[in-house]
Amino acid sequence: MKLYKKEGNILQILSFPNETVEKGDYLLVEDAEAGKALIAQVIDVQFASIPGVLEELLRSLPDGGELVHGEDFDPLEIAPHITFIQDASLLVCKIRATLENENLSPSSSWLPSRSQSTIKKLAIPTLLKLAKVEGKLPIVLGGTKDSSFLTIDASCLDGRLNIITGKKETGKSHLSKLLMVNLVGYKATVAVFDLNGEYVSLGMTSDGKRNAYYDKIHVLAPGQNFKVALKQVNLHVLLGILIHALHLPGTSAREFRRIWQSLKERDMLTLHELGEAIRNWNCNQHVRDALSSRYHALVNSGFFTDIVAEATLLEDCLFKAQEHGGAVIVNLRNTSTIDRQIVVEYVLGKLVEQLTSWKLKATFLFAEEAHLYLRETYWDDIVTRMRHFGIFTTFITNQPDTIKENIYRQADNIFLFNFTNEHDLDVVSRAARVDAETVRLIARDLPPHHCLTLGRVVKDFPIVVKVKALDVRTMGETRLFFKDTN
Amino acid sequence: MVIEQYTIAATPKYNFPQPNIDTALPQRFIEQSINSLKYVQNQPFQLNQQPFQQATNMELNPQTFQLRMQPIILKPNHEETQIAACDTSTLKIGETSTGMLIAVRGANVWKQNKSYKYTRLGPFIFHITEENKSEVYNMLERAYFTSTHKQSHLYFVNLLQSPTRIASLLERWLQATLAKTMNDGVVLFDGSLTAGIPDTPIERLKEILMNARKCGNVVMAFSKITSLRINGYLITDMPLQQRNPHLLETIGLRPKPPIVLLGDVYVARLSHGSYAFRLDIDKENSNDQRIEAVGRLLGNDILTQGYPETLRLAHILCTFTANEVIAMQHFIARKCGLKIINRPDMHRLLFGPFGRGESYS
Repeated sequence: MKLYKKEGNILQILSFPNETVEKGDYLLVEDAEAGKALIAQVIDVQFASIPGVLEELLRSLPDGGELVHGEDFDPLEIAPHITFIQDASLLVCKIRATLENENLSPSSSWLPSRSQSTIKKLAIPTLLKLAKVEGKLPIVLGGTKDSSFLTIDASCLDGRLNIITGKKETGKSHLSKLLMVNLVGYKATVAVFDLNGEYVSLGMTSDGKRNAYYDKIHVLAPGQNFKVALKQVNLHVLLGILIHALHLPGTSAREFRRIWQSLKERDMLTLHELGEAIRNWNCNQHVRDALSSRYHALVNSGFFTDIVAEATLLEDCLFKAQEHGGAVIVNLRNTSTIDRQIVVEYVLGKLVEQLTSWKLKATFLFAEEAHLYLRETYWDDIVTRMRHFGIFTTFITNQPDTIKENIYRQADNIFLFNFTNEHDLDVVSRAARVDAETVRLIARDLPPHHCLTLGRVVKDFPIVVKVKALDVRTMGETRLFFKDTN
Repeated sequence: MVIEQYTIAATPKYNFPQPNIDTALPQRFIEQSINSLKYVQNQPFQLNQQPFQQATNMELNPQTFQLRMQPIILKPNHEETQIAACDTSTLKIGETSTGMLIAVRGANVWKQNKSYKYTRLGPFIFHITEENKSEVYNMLERAYFTSTHKQSHLYFVNLLQSPTRIASLLERWLQATLAKTMNDGVVLFDGSLTAGIPDTPIERLKEILMNARKCGNVVMAFSKITSLRINGYLITDMPLQQRNPHLLETIGLRPKPPIVLLGDVYVARLSHGSYAFRLDIDKENSNDQRIEAVGRLLGNDILTQGYPETLRLAHILCTFTANEVIAMQHFIARKCGLKIINRPDMHRLLFGPFGRGESYS
């Protein structure tokens, strides 16, 4: 390999056919004289612009596209040299760091010698060692191209905003499950908004047996084993539901507050009493109608109950999870859009309540396709305010444009699976911790189950990893009509 | 210093398809190529590629001649006839402190069963110096003469001429191969049928033409450039209101000795609206045979812009592309350990932007 050009933080390196370098590989451009080396990542592989190649190709097709056959007597065996030159490739590389005295710095301000520099592939384990991508809480994400494992530190997810994105069926949910069970393994408290009921069997192996996480996975199905009694709900949590999920106007919310306080003073906080109070409350008819319709929405959701024994205390599940490590999976599979929003508002409200009162230390929140249940204002809340309370979110989506740009800008870690659509790649490339070229050029060619890991977990050295298999029962499979036929 | 030993023997790849053809010349090419490269080890090497124009169309002082303005109208004859052509090319790859490195390659192309086939020889790379220029050339020359005229003849060649002279030797060998191996075909040469010049001794070309006639072949040579003029006009620029393919015959064309024309010279416009070329046809063929041969060429080959595709392909196949030049430089640097240097360009050094002004454009 030969250093050809440097423009900004882009290096162009000439590579010959006997040197196998692929997108995503790391190269070490070492200038012994300067005592420094550049660490660059290959983001694109192109044909080198060799003069005369067009003529070479054209002369083999002179007769309307039909190949001219013949024999070549090449006694000096120049032909291999011709193909050697013709097949030379140009590696477009992004400079990631400068290595000097075993220390890495993000600088790319110096120029290595073009004639004297030596270029060699940098093995991922060596890079990880140099970058100190290791820690006390290792999570093996999977294998890299040079058959080594990529191990990240769970503490790099702590207090961070993560995004897992990629097109359908590339392995996003698989990775989020992997992260989740590993966090649970390290006694973390995890809450999951499970849109498709994919996480409910994480406690079982693929052959249906109980695994190590069986006792740590708490599945809550709203309306079934997850109901709340009004007595257990704080007014501000319920107001949050009414205002944000059920769009209750401000005037009506004020009346509702009065009704609630009146019932609470009389210790009559039940669904039945609430309905009666709304019907008999002395207020404007429009306000009564507004309150009445929201009341019926709450009743019809099946999420609220008057039987205290039937109610599940979310706090209990969270405390249990906090004690031994565990995940509270909120299965939103069979809930309607409105009910889903009610449940999410409740869970988030409760989480904030527990965290602000320091009853909970911190929670890792996994939210799949969050745009389907998260209200607009919550996005900013989650990445700014709730982070300080101790909610560390991982968004999982196959529609990257549903996540707002400011969220990408603040994301600490991005796990990027394959995208072919330019628009999708453009959206992801707005993330602050990654450059647009890397995202566009590498993510487009990622095979299924391969993920480009970006951000703090890899110390800003983007690494392609094949996500390792997980021995849990998968529930996210698409239901097929022709499954039996095939 | 230990240098790599080359095996001076034909490589297994070097296996000629026609057993009746004497392969002494190409074998000498390999030997001389390898021998000359032995003495170029570890020298500085200045990259300087430059194609040599072969002087195949010597038209020294032709005396007054005329052009018969009555065109010979040609009709394509589709009777299946093999059309073959050959060409060579040579190129200076660079300079060493003692001489220069050149590459030579030749190609024979023929049209068979409506498809084109080729045999390509080379590239042969030679290191030509003042010391070895005569040795290299004469060894090759002797290889040719041993097998043909059984005579020994030593030439003193100018260093700058040697690339074209070596290429000419290869070209004559390729022409002889075609003349002997084809039957009842049309053999196309690049240039003219002019003999008596250092590159083309009369006897050599005569023998090629004779062998071709023995096998029922008609040899014709196409010149892309001519300097023959009538009334100040190039013969290929003469205006003529004739739409069909035709020939114009020259009369009284007699070059000064020792140059002789072994062909009759025509102006050929072989397709409507295309270019005209000087066409030499072996004069030992009767007039009818010549016209019929051109007709068979029209009926059996593609004539884009009035130039036969077979000959065009021969030219294309032996021409060195920039990619191949780089590959040969790579080969030499690897095999001979040449150090590539950049000598300062004296014109640029002395005259700045006024030195070789056109190269700056």
